[in-house]
Amino acid sequence: MSTHVGDEQAEIDRLRARVAALEAELIEVQAWANEVVGQAQERTYWLDRWHVDLNELMRHRSADRLRAAARAVRSVIRLFRRLKRRFVP
Amino acid sequence: MTTVSVVIPVKNGERYLAELLAALAREGVNEILVIDSGSSDGSVEIVRAAGVELIEIPADAFGHGRTRNLGAEHTTGELICFLTQDATPVDGWLAAYREAFSLAPRVGAAYGPHLPRPQTSPMIARELGEFFATFAPDGRPTVQTAGDPPFLSNVNACYARACWEELRFRDVAYAEDQAFGADLLAAGWSKVYHPQAAVLHAHDYGLVEFMRRYFDEYRGLREAVGHVEPFGLGATLRHVHRSVAADRKWMRQHGAGVLERARWTTRSAAHHGGRRVFSALGSRADRLPASVQRALSLERRDGAPRMPAEPASPAARRPGGPPLATGARIPRMRERDDYEVAAEVWRHGPAPLLDPVAGMADRERLRIAMVIPPFSRGSGGHNTLFQIFSRLERRGHVCSVWVHDYFRELRDVWPGVVRRNINEFFAPIKGAVYKGFDAWHGADLVVATGWQTVHPALRLDRCYARAYLVNDHEPEFYAASTEQVLAADTYRHGLHCIAATPWLRDLLIERYGATADAFQLGVDHETYRPRPVERRRDTIVYYARYETPRRAVPIGLMALAELHRRRPDVRIVLFGGGHPIHTAFPYEHMGVLSREQLSWLYSEATVGLCLSLTNFSLMPKEMLACGLPCVELAGVSAESTFGEQPPLELATLDPTNIADRLERLLDDRDLWERRSREGLASVETHTWDHATDQVEAALRHALRLRELPVVSR
Repeated sequence: MSTHVGDEQAEIDRLRARVAALEAELIEVQAWANEVVGQAQERTYWLDRWHVDLNELMRHRSADRLRAAARAVRSVIRLFRRLKRRFVP
Repeated sequence: MTTVSVVIPVKNGERYLAELLAALAREGVNEILVIDSGSSDGSVEIVRAAGVELIEIPADAFGHGRTRNLGAEHTTGELICFLTQDATPVDGWLAAYREAFSLAPRVGAAYGPHLPRPQTSPMIARELGEFFATFAPDGRPTVQTAGDPPFLSNVNACYARACWEELRFRDVAYAEDQAFGADLLAAGWSKVYHPQAAVLHAHDYGLVEFMRRYFDEYRGLREAVGHVEPFGLGATLRHVHRSVAADRKWMRQHGAGVLERARWTTRSAAHHGGRRVFSALGSRADRLPASVQRALSLERRDGAPRMPAEPASPAARRPGGPPLATGARIPRMRERDDYEVAAEVWRHGPAPLLDPVAGMADRERLRIAMVIPPFSRGSGGHNTLFQIFSRLERRGHVCSVWVHDYFRELRDVWPGVVRRNINEFFAPIKGAVYKGFDAWHGADLVVATGWQTVHPALRLDRCYARAYLVNDHEPEFYAASTEQVLAADTYRHGLHCIAATPWLRDLLIERYGATADAFQLGVDHETYRPRPVERRRDTIVYYARYETPRRAVPIGLMALAELHRRRPDVRIVLFGGGHPIHTAFPYEHMGVLSREQLSWLYSEATVGLCLSLTNFSLMPKEMLACGLPCVELAGVSAESTFGEQPPLELATLDPTNIADRLERLLDDRDLWERRSREGLASVETHTWDHATDQVEAALRHALRLRELPVVSR
């Protein structure tokens, strides 16, 4: 009987330790997430201040065109640099 | 056979009215009602001559929704058709409507196309055809249900009386039909577009009138269904180009000659370009000044929302009959009621707490979620919260801030800005700031921080305990009112209270049966310290914040008037209020000062005066920390902060007694020196670190109160 009680107590202790470990893990994760969200809010301050939702903005058709234009300009610049590297000592 | 009534609102509609009434007679409708709102042309005579029923209402009583509701109320048909005064039904119109209501169960409304009249401009004629063709690509009637466009047009529409009775038209300035269409689909009714239920209809406006009408239409759409017309320069130019080409093609197909096509091309470009601009402006009319709105509006309306108190169906008169009185029908004006969340708590109770875990109160790091009301720069209560919260965070606790913006005071302030403001106005925090509770992810402790935040905090789940940081006895801020009742209610929901003075703690325990701890408000000793400035012997500084009734400013002013009568040479300085107030004595108005400025003022002045009818505030402590003796009220809460021998001069709530105390400190140099010394010593230990110690212990106490007894080994 006493062995049975001892086993039960050991199981309770083991479960308590497990709960404590899980709680500690949760706190670590939430601390990290909380700080990361805080940092992200700090980074996006001016967007928030000016009510700019970049995702919304970039979904717009004009944004696609702007990005395509930027890609075109970039490819010309790269081409120019490649040529310069090749032909200009 | 289904009976059909037709309602026609009219104002100066003589041009097509006879033709319209004749067409209705030909179609064989059961009942026609014309509602005239002040015609000055021959409309009324035309109606009378046709033997049609007429109701006359004053012009200012007209409303697109309310007048149609009035018409529906005064007719009896199972179907109610609405036509405008310039819409003439074509042959087969009535039969088409009768058929429409038999096409599906629960058809609430039906509508038909608007056909151009011979003189209609090519732009409008083409667009009408193309627009209505989209509803019936195969030319057959279509049934529209939830998810389909809500389009309905009272130029030519027909309603099942049962549906109208259930929904009625909203009393909106414009687009009541579109609103009805949306309401109808949302309520589970369907609507039918029937291509044969057609009317001849087109507006013959000039270019400018057209633009202003588009402004009105899109402003109405925004008000009724929230539609915002997009606008972009490139898109507009492309649209104009496409539309002009389409108009020219349409004209060619309809036999217009070269000259006529050329004549209309310029007008077409102006029409389509102007429409894009004016519809975008109409959608955004709320951003325009009232005078600009009036100038752009064909109706000369400045867009101010109609007041609900305005009678929706004012006395209408049947010829020869008594005035008809009907009640105002007020549309839904807001998302929810003010204190719905409190009612939720009363109805459903608080969200269940997590089962307690042994030892949770003693964990090194706690997850603390603080629910705060909106704030502005200089909020003393928020300063207390964040001085403590910032320190809790630095001690390793995981702290998040949740803004409960019930009255949408911060609706235009995004979370990143709220967070930065907290950092700039109060104290540095590293954690996240959330507006609302959509991202709620649980915490060990939820901390409410003002009466408005308690009920939402009670609805938050996944937490072990709830605490309530009480800065003041807030029911005393209100006269008998809902707010007073709700504020008192917040102490009765079992949140562990953490009160800003022992006086407040005792009050919460005795009056409300709450569990409570106390903390002492801290002083920022780096700012509030004696500054190197010569102390004057003649200056009283008074925190005269008239906007805060608990500061008893009228009594303070009477005391100073009495002091001035006795000692006209005393310099009196008032601060804390935004505007100068009228007094019975001369004074210097300092307005709202920064903390730095306050510390210099306190260091220079002779005596401070700061009254509080409720909880002891931080300000007297800050005065004392600058070596400034201070007069406060006796018998309220000061004694609980400093004990039986407080370092303050305490006065009864009597102007003469307050003036006596001020005068004593001015005259008695020994007393002044002693008070100044005692004051500095007494607040030395009142630091924010100490306050944080007390609050942290109280938070752990809140958790401990929930802990299960440890199972004996």
